[in-house]
Amino acid sequence: MLEQFVMFVTSFAPLLQEGAASSPAIPPQAAAALAVGLAAFGAGYSQRGIGAAAVGAVAEDDSLFGRGLILTVLPETLVILALVTLFVAG
Amino acid sequence: MSASNEASNYEYVTTRAKSRRAALFDADDYRKLVRMGPGEIARFMEESEYEAEMNALGARYSGVDLIEYALNRNLAKHFNDLLRFAEGKLYDYIARYLRKFDAWNIKTVIRGVYADSERQEIEDDLIRAGELPPRTIDRLLEADSIEGIVERLDGTIYEDPLVAAYEDYEAAGVLVPLENAVDRAYYQLLLADVPAEPDRATRLYVEFLQAEIDFRNMRNALRLSRSGADIDPAEYYIPGGRLFSPTEIQGLVNNPDQLVERIRTSTYGDDLDRALDDLDAAGSLIEFELALERALLEYSGQLSNRYPLSVCPVLAYILAKEREVDNIRAIARGKEAGLTAEEIEEELVVQ
Repeated sequence: MLEQFVMFVTSFAPLLQEGAASSPAIPPQAAAALAVGLAAFGAGYSQRGIGAAAVGAVAEDDSLFGRGLILTVLPETLVILALVTLFVAG
Repeated sequence: MSASNEASNYEYVTTRAKSRRAALFDADDYRKLVRMGPGEIARFMEESEYEAEMNALGARYSGVDLIEYALNRNLAKHFNDLLRFAEGKLYDYIARYLRKFDAWNIKTVIRGVYADSERQEIEDDLIRAGELPPRTIDRLLEADSIEGIVERLDGTIYEDPLVAAYEDYEAAGVLVPLENAVDRAYYQLLLADVPAEPDRATRLYVEFLQAEIDFRNMRNALRLSRSGADIDPAEYYIPGGRLFSPTEIQGLVNNPDQLVERIRTSTYGDDLDRALDDLDAAGSLIEFELALERALLEYSGQLSNRYPLSVCPVLAYILAKEREVDNIRAIARGKEAGLTAEEIEEELVVQ
């Protein structure tokens, strides 16, 4: 799935560059939006694994619910940090 | 649950397996258990993991039998859970090893029918932890002849070997060919269709299965050479291991010293050095086999920590659970036979 995504991006990039020479193919705000989207994608992918493990742990022992929840949302920090690009580019 | 083109859910299954492995009895619990009588052991188990099984079987059995059947049932419950959780390749890897309980169940039913046992008796001896669906096993139990059992296994991996062996059984009237056929079907599938380019953890798992075959061959060879029975070792040889070839094993069985030397210089030599020394010194096969188990358990524990997202943690749990069941059974049976705590402690395999 990751491979497909990388292929998708690499096949698009040259097309975008062929656009108008004067202005950048991807304006700063769009690039920032892309950055946030990609970060969210990465966070989601890592949460898939952590979430599965956390649900397994909670199924065995209820008291692990809090810890599992915290570990599952930790990758969310990726998205929050990526939001910084919005303010820098904005 | 089992389609092999599905993605594997290692994260979920290994967490559950690890959590369960951590909840097994530890050295302290065993120290307590060896100092209890059978009644106290049963009581201790009722307050632990085995509560549900002890209560379910408590009406029908008592004493050590109750402990034993409860252990088997609990083992089956946990291993079935693992198969239920796992998907894709992981399911396949786990099922490979757990099929040994299918082989055990089929052999038990065959023996039970051969000996005209009551259905309930046979049923209680089964360990329903394998891959065969419960319905197939129920139908096996309904069979009243060995031919019926062979027919009911139609379409499973045991069909062809059993049909072939049934003729031998009819001619000779002994169960050995049938039991051999079941075992062989199991061992043949153990290493069938291994991925051509496995990742490191999978390769280790395959090596573990090969080691399992090697150890089985080793044990058979040692037992044969100890007992001095006039049996052709090639008949009991299981292909797929890395240690012996069938012709080699034939020569080695008649020459025990050479056999031990051969094991010592093999890849397993380092791990088994102490065991082999014991074997030389005391000539005790039991100690050697216990040392084998200990070496396996330790090794699987290491693998489990080194390769967290692979089949290894699940395997480590399966082995540890099997040892726990064996240990508790040894304690209960030992107490029944009046052994002292020290004698029983020597029989335990504790990590």
